[in-house]
Amino acid sequence: MDKLGQEWVSAAVDGETDAQTLAELAADTDSHELWQDYHMIGDAMRGELPQQINLDLTANIAAAIEQEPAIVAPKVTQQPAKPAAKLANVIPMFKQFGQYAIAASVALVAVVGVQNYNQTPEIDASPLPVLNTRPLVGSATPVSLQTGPTQQNRANEQVREQRHRVNTYIQDHMLQQRLNNGAKLEQPSDMIAIPVNQ
Amino acid sequence: MRLFLLVLLTITFPTLAQEDMTPKAWLENMSQALRQQEFKISLIQLQADHIRPLVYIHGHVEDQEVAFLEHLNGPPKNAVRVGNTVTFIEHDQPAYSVNADRIQGIVPPAFAGDISALESGYQFVLGGRSRLAGRPSQSIRIIPKDNLRYSYQVWLDMETYLPLRYDMLSQDKQLLEQILVVELLVLEDAPEILKEAYKQEWPPVIKQSDRIAADNWQFKWLPVGFEVLVKDSHRLIGSHEAVEYISLSDGLTQISVYVARAGETVLPEEIVGRNGLSLSTIRKGNAEIVAVGKAPAETLTRIAESITIE
Repeated sequence: MDKLGQEWVSAAVDGETDAQTLAELAADTDSHELWQDYHMIGDAMRGELPQQINLDLTANIAAAIEQEPAIVAPKVTQQPAKPAAKLANVIPMFKQFGQYAIAASVALVAVVGVQNYNQTPEIDASPLPVLNTRPLVGSATPVSLQTGPTQQNRANEQVREQRHRVNTYIQDHMLQQRLNNGAKLEQPSDMIAIPVNQ
Repeated sequence: MRLFLLVLLTITFPTLAQEDMTPKAWLENMSQALRQQEFKISLIQLQADHIRPLVYIHGHVEDQEVAFLEHLNGPPKNAVRVGNTVTFIEHDQPAYSVNADRIQGIVPPAFAGDISALESGYQFVLGGRSRLAGRPSQSIRIIPKDNLRYSYQVWLDMETYLPLRYDMLSQDKQLLEQILVVELLVLEDAPEILKEAYKQEWPPVIKQSDRIAADNWQFKWLPVGFEVLVKDSHRLIGSHEAVEYISLSDGLTQISVYVARAGETVLPEEIVGRNGLSLSTIRKGNAEIVAVGKAPAETLTRIAESITIE
């Protein structure tokens, strides 16, 4: 029977069995190990063995699950572990200039809107509806959901706020560069001064 | 034989003339070439870890300068210039026009303007020759007279005087930005695309007249060559913070100075980006002065410290 069983499995590995025998094989837990071995041999002959052979994966996983402490919900607390990385980002954000250039151009229309708005005398406190597409950093985030804001959270928020402010200044600078090019033109003396060479 | 000598003379004469040319004359020829020639250049812009391929086409249609700049990678982002109007065509918003005499984004606009305007802050030095984009070129260094700003180097095609390479270098000669032409095509006539651009109806120029006059800010000190371009008061994009704004320029670099009521969050004193853009912040009483621009952070700090109100 044993010998016969082996042949059986071997044929199944080679795909030479019908569905019924395959189902029988699946039910026969004793042959599973054989099945795996044959596949391994086949892989080895074809040279398809992975670099590291993990012989009994299912058992390993089962063991790992067994050892895992039961975690129900509190995974959320891991989120605020980010601030250290954020701090380091203060300078690398300059990498994103391409985007800022776009953002600056996006903002162009908006700024013109703001300037028009400004013509009506002093509306200091009222939020300008034109620009409210992006939430102001620090105000809208669900930080308040956490029980007792930690010192770290505060620092995190400050760094974000700082980044946001730096960004707004840089965006404005980029935008002004586009606009001022024209402003220079409005003073005719500057332009006429350019001589045609020789 | 005489004819041969004559031909030889006419061939050698221009190159002999080039030997005697001052660096300023080279730059003036470049300025003229950028304004008057018809050409198409393919170039790449290198900035920290950004590489952007671009195409720039320039020509004349009915005595008007027409130019077209296209970003080849990423979402469509083009600029068209007809005369003194530059229209930006970008994927995420309707096209809009501003008043400008150059398209920003390739070589500094000043390169096509009055070169002697740069002389107050910079001196020009003739560099070596090298081969770029398959053409012989002459390099010219534009060195600041003080150690307060970045230096530049530009390589000019010896035949057309068009720029083939442009470097912006920090004070310790680190490369901050480079523009490298990979192909230069000199054209006989303005290409179709420029003629189309000329015929096209572009959106009207955005009104800029409503700049609100700012307080009379003065600088006790500025690096030689810097002048105030614009003063106004406006609100920053995104934060709506009201600021007093002064724009300074020495021809090659623009610096923005902002005066605002000091906020709760303190801005970092100095930030330097790898592409040369810096930001400096100082606090005076309850005011916060921020200077942004492509210049060393120490220079920006000094400028910010020297501001006074009359």
